[in-house]
Amino acid sequence: MKILIVDDSESSRLLLERLLNNAGYGGVEMADSAAAAFQKLGMDGSSAPSTEIDLILLDIVMPEMDGIEACGKIKAVDSLRDVPVIMVTAKKDDGNLQRAFDMGAIDYITKPVNKVELLARVRSVLKLKNEMDRRMEVTRHLEAANHQLQLLSALDGLTGIANRRHFDQTFDKEWRRGLRDEFPLSLILTDIDSFKAYNDNYGHQAGDVCLKRVADAISAALKRPGDLVARYGGEEFVVVLPETDKNNAAILAEDIRKKVAAQKIPHGFSKAAEVVTLSLGVATAIPSRSHKPAGLIEAADKALYQAKHEGRNQVRVSH
Amino acid sequence: MGLTQNEKIIVRVDSDIQDLIPDFLKMRRDDIKSIQSALLKNDLRTIEILGHSMKGSGGGYGFDRISEIGGVLEIAAKNDNKEGIKKQTADLSNYLDRVEVVFE
Repeated sequence: MKILIVDDSESSRLLLERLLNNAGYGGVEMADSAAAAFQKLGMDGSSAPSTEIDLILLDIVMPEMDGIEACGKIKAVDSLRDVPVIMVTAKKDDGNLQRAFDMGAIDYITKPVNKVELLARVRSVLKLKNEMDRRMEVTRHLEAANHQLQLLSALDGLTGIANRRHFDQTFDKEWRRGLRDEFPLSLILTDIDSFKAYNDNYGHQAGDVCLKRVADAISAALKRPGDLVARYGGEEFVVVLPETDKNNAAILAEDIRKKVAAQKIPHGFSKAAEVVTLSLGVATAIPSRSHKPAGLIEAADKALYQAKHEGRNQVRVSH
Repeated sequence: MGLTQNEKIIVRVDSDIQDLIPDFLKMRRDDIKSIQSALLKNDLRTIEILGHSMKGSGGGYGFDRISEIGGVLEIAAKNDNKEGIKKQTADLSNYLDRVEVVFE
């Protein structure tokens, strides 16, 4: 535990240091002014702080800069914001004390110091800080674990629909089922028109909202429980339609295109329209061992490319 | 009341800080010299700071009287009360002559 004592009076500093040392707090640092304290805390930019300070005992009345102003400056530094500050003050100093608390001080002790009071306050403040530190540690672990969980799960964090990983698994499964059943398997690959321009101009938060709305619109268009929509990439979505032929897939794709345009999400920077639109590529195949599943994705991709190339906001079907 | 000018003043001090006492008392004697020199220069700010410092530390070491004197000194200096300063300084000097520390 490193405690920093800031007081212009040498006698006061020595006494506090002795009382703290005797109570078992070995790492006591001292500063005889606000400026010296800033140096110890690494605030003056000359060097990184030499040690991590766990608590500051700060005298209020000091020549040059007083403790209240010093407290304010310390608390303004991000990395020092959580270091507890106990003000050391002469009795009957309510006015100053209020200002000190406003500046972020957590407690106070009066001068001349009483050994019992000093140690009780220091102990309780350090205990509180300890608990806060541990809690933050736990929170950090939870956030990391949560992140891991998301990666392993089947859902895309932002939109709530299936993620790419889940699509890969599902598509593979449907392809192999199609090999047995010999029913046609269709894919719709779709991409938001001029999405980069949307993000650049409306900001990423608005971009995220847009992605969510598009995902919802596509989901709403699906009719059967076996149909799956997944987030394929940043602004790309894919729909897997088991046991669906080319015609029906194309009809559904057009339905999706209309539903998204009907959201009327304004897009002043789109090459296609004044609202957010989709380009869609459709491809169908009856799975067979002589073809690779990737071939179907490629075909849908080529159709999508065609849709983009021919003006966007339209459906193109692979032949 | 009833103390004569030369009677000893016993002060009980925590033995935890025993070794800090000699320096503390010596620095208070130095303070007296500093106050006298500051008076000659009419430097009341220095006297105010010394008084404030004494006020804050005296009692912590076990010398409540020194805190008291320091407090009065601080106010006297703030009010440009040179007579007051001289009196407190004399009282402090007298006190330091008579004080005897018992460690417990």
